[in-house]
Amino acid sequence: MPMVLLECDKDIPERRKHIYLKAPNEDSREFLPIANAATIPGTLSERGCAFCGAKLVIGGVLKDTIQMIHGPLGCAYDTWHTKRYPTDNGHFNMKYVWSTDMKESHVVFGGEKRLEQSIHEAFNEMPEIKRMIVYTTCPTALIGDDIKAVVKKVMKERPDVDIFTVECPGFAGVSQSKGHHVLNIGWINEKVETLEKEITSPYTMNFIGDFNIQGDTQLLQTYWDRLGIQVIAHFTGNGTYDDLRCMHQAQLNVVNCARSSGYIANELKKRYGIPRLDIDSWGFNYMAEGIRKICAFFGIEDKGEALIADEYAKWKPKLDWYKERLKGTKMAIWTGGPRLWHWTKSVEDDLGIKVVAMSSKFGHEEDFEKVIARGQEGTYYIDDGNELEFFEIIDRVKPDVIFTGPRVGELVKKLHIPYVNGHAYHNGPYMGFEGFVNLARDTYNAVYNPLAHLAGIDIRNEIPAQLPERIREAA
Amino acid sequence: MSTCEVAAVKPAEVKLVARDRGGIINPMYDCQPAGAQYAGIGVKDCIPLVHGGQGCTMFVRLLFAQHFKENFDIASTSLHEDSAVFGGVKRIEEGVMVLARRYPNLRVIPIITTCSTEVIGDDIEGTINICNKALKAEFPDRKIHLVPVHTPSFKGSHVTGYAECMKSLVKTIAKGGKPTGKLNVFPGWVNPGDVTELKHYLKEMGVDHHVFMDTEDFDSPMLPNKTIETHGKTTVEDIQASGAAIGSLSLARYESLPATKFLYDEFTVPNHLIDTPYGIANTDAMLRKISEITGKPIPESLVRERGIALDALADLAHMFFANKKVAIYGHPDMVLGLAKFCMEVELEPVLLLIGDDQGSKYKKDPRIEELKQTAHFDMEIIHNADLWELEKRITKGDLKLDLIMGHSKGRYIAIYNDIPMVRVGFPTFDRAGLYRKPTMGYRGAMELAETIANTMFAHMEYTKNKEWILNTW
Ligand code: SF4
Ligand code: SF4
Repeated sequence: MPMVLLECDKDIPERRKHIYLKAPNEDSREFLPIANAATIPGTLSERGCAFCGAKLVIGGVLKDTIQMIHGPLGCAYDTWHTKRYPTDNGHFNMKYVWSTDMKESHVVFGGEKRLEQSIHEAFNEMPEIKRMIVYTTCPTALIGDDIKAVVKKVMKERPDVDIFTVECPGFAGVSQSKGHHVLNIGWINEKVETLEKEITSPYTMNFIGDFNIQGDTQLLQTYWDRLGIQVIAHFTGNGTYDDLRCMHQAQLNVVNCARSSGYIANELKKRYGIPRLDIDSWGFNYMAEGIRKICAFFGIEDKGEALIADEYAKWKPKLDWYKERLKGTKMAIWTGGPRLWHWTKSVEDDLGIKVVAMSSKFGHEEDFEKVIARGQEGTYYIDDGNELEFFEIIDRVKPDVIFTGPRVGELVKKLHIPYVNGHAYHNGPYMGFEGFVNLARDTYNAVYNPLAHLAGIDIRNEIPAQLPERIREAA
Repeated sequence: MSTCEVAAVKPAEVKLVARDRGGIINPMYDCQPAGAQYAGIGVKDCIPLVHGGQGCTMFVRLLFAQHFKENFDIASTSLHEDSAVFGGVKRIEEGVMVLARRYPNLRVIPIITTCSTEVIGDDIEGTINICNKALKAEFPDRKIHLVPVHTPSFKGSHVTGYAECMKSLVKTIAKGGKPTGKLNVFPGWVNPGDVTELKHYLKEMGVDHHVFMDTEDFDSPMLPNKTIETHGKTTVEDIQASGAAIGSLSLARYESLPATKFLYDEFTVPNHLIDTPYGIANTDAMLRKISEITGKPIPESLVRERGIALDALADLAHMFFANKKVAIYGHPDMVLGLAKFCMEVELEPVLLLIGDDQGSKYKKDPRIEELKQTAHFDMEIIHNADLWELEKRITKGDLKLDLIMGHSKGRYIAIYNDIPMVRVGFPTFDRAGLYRKPTMGYRGAMELAETIANTMFAHMEYTKNKEWILNTW
């Protein structure tokens, strides 16, 4: 019986369908956890809302774009200062957020005028900024404000600005995932092929589904520069609004995060015939494989091999130093979804780590297919895990480190388990060769942290005979 | 006879104005449900259930985790499209039952509405009746208090949301009855460090009391046996007893007054509203008031504590602080209290940013009247403010500041304009351990002044601006 009903779930037995324990010799396709389904109210799930999937994950990354959130101030406040995606222009995207600060009168009489006023104000206050994304939120969607009409009017009055709309209130769909989809499809429908940029290389691609967390995009960009590949658009790490309008000009779409951004790659393929190439950017084996595939596409294999050799020479010894010390470590991953399948095999192959439990907030069944295929036996695969389930799973698998968000990190700290920020990283970037050494280092520093050992000591008891091996080594 | 002429000095002007834009750039506050959630987590054996989209809960839990470096349990009804069309009350019922079944010690569930469920118009009170019946049938031996909290986010802010939930909690749970002889203390939305400080005064004075909410354990330990103690300490019994107290001390006009007023209206518990105890004079007034209500004298120990604080402040005020221009933003009770504190130590709070859309309330605030009477420098008080009001006065106007005091959401203004900043209020996630430190009381005044001084000193050193002054101090 590979699907598992946990003790804490005895009153919500439908959760059994969401938790899978991989056993030997079975066709895991028969036992895929149900995913992307509505959350049971009151379960203390980890999920966010669709609006967040659009604004916080994708749109809000852009470095030159006003993020106008049409609704009460909360949705804006909440999607500000919760991400680590720097830019090379002084982090405009992290410094500001905009709200139409909707009030009761707007609920009663409609908020379109308020939106129009707020858009003008925003451009007037920051005259150097000419691009904007307008988002609906739960209340403005419910009262039925026509934000597209407002935006059309403003763009007529201000010919030098361009505005994109995302109609994706928080209650749409079951998680962030819905917001990814709405933004992807909206963008290709309305904005791609509205601008042409200068082509400077015979090799061009879009890099899709990487959000420059702690500089991921910027690190990978050094590879593309060395390979002579022009990146037409980064969707959306360190990206600009106008670059994204030129996505149709690329010869190849390279996709890292298939969950958040696979949709636009598919559409670019359908509409413009641009092939889609999925790669994993975390891990040595995966990164090298990705570079090889990209270079094979452009027929520049030699350049690719030279780059990989260079990077291996520089970083592989460091990685191996950590591998020596991390092998056998038990890791849990509780993040959004794709990182489960991006990481489970790369930490196993590159670092000798065993991933013992994984929970996804918004992955779909295809994400579970991938992660179960790549992951180990004896490992738990959980959709939309909740707090009590986490406690029970921890008890069963006893992880040495958990890759998750800061709030859950604070929770498991009390259980003497160190966490590493699986969303925003501890000290990244984590992508690429150098990045994976960073991940290894942060994992090592977490696992060899003497405090977890000290926390277990009750000073009323005798002094423990000897420090655990890991702690001694670190000391 | 001297012919020396003194230029006519323009009298100091204190202006109260509102943000003049409709939209917000960089909000100072979160929305009402966030404040309600903060009040809710202060209660022991309580999990708030937020009726709305999942984001309204998930982000707020993250915000609390950022500030306190702790996890707090808050549930969501996970509203989806179908509920948006057909109403979401079924999801409340389901959420309540799931919580009750899975958390056997649960005693209180505040049911907190959001903008979406207020727009839909879900009948919260009616649903609570249905839930109460279902709970009684399934758990005849348990009493779970379901508290309706209406916090549409298109009104007020997290400040009013906090006040609203505090009121709803006492309204639903408080009882009258035999006088307890205890004092209710409603500090408003403060840090655990402030709660500890207030309790210390009450203990020194021998005053039996309940602090609402007792958030001391929001600073919770890592224990050898791995138990998790991160939760409010205020019990159902404490709230029940609030209706039979000897009085309520309300320390925050905008955060605690609705609750204490209710206790007066319903149970005639005398309500004593005082100015939020930031700085020496405000703390003096608080201690005198406690003494007046309880008849207990102010002990020698507190005279000494006051003296220690004054002694520390005197080293800083006219040497380092005098004439330094300060902007303060955050919760109105805190900002107005800190403005007075600043003036005690000769700092000049030239710009105060407060408030949500409750402008007319501020006009009647006697503390603003007092600032008008006492400020000897020009001061601007902006209500309904956002942080752009502060930023643009610095970058596009002619505001020259020596110090910014406010929460972490304004950090970039200080960083990019090279202005020393001291974090106060909520949230302060970009500095370690501030939730543990008091800002209220004598000790709070002293620690805050010392933080201000050390921040200025570090700035002098990094910018090599008269850092040699400190060669000998
Ligand atoms: S949807 Fe409403 S209640 Fe939820 S975060 Fe946004 S403003 Fe606040
Ligand atoms: S890594 Fe996770 S959060 Fe980031 S885009 Fe992919 S799925 Fe979304």
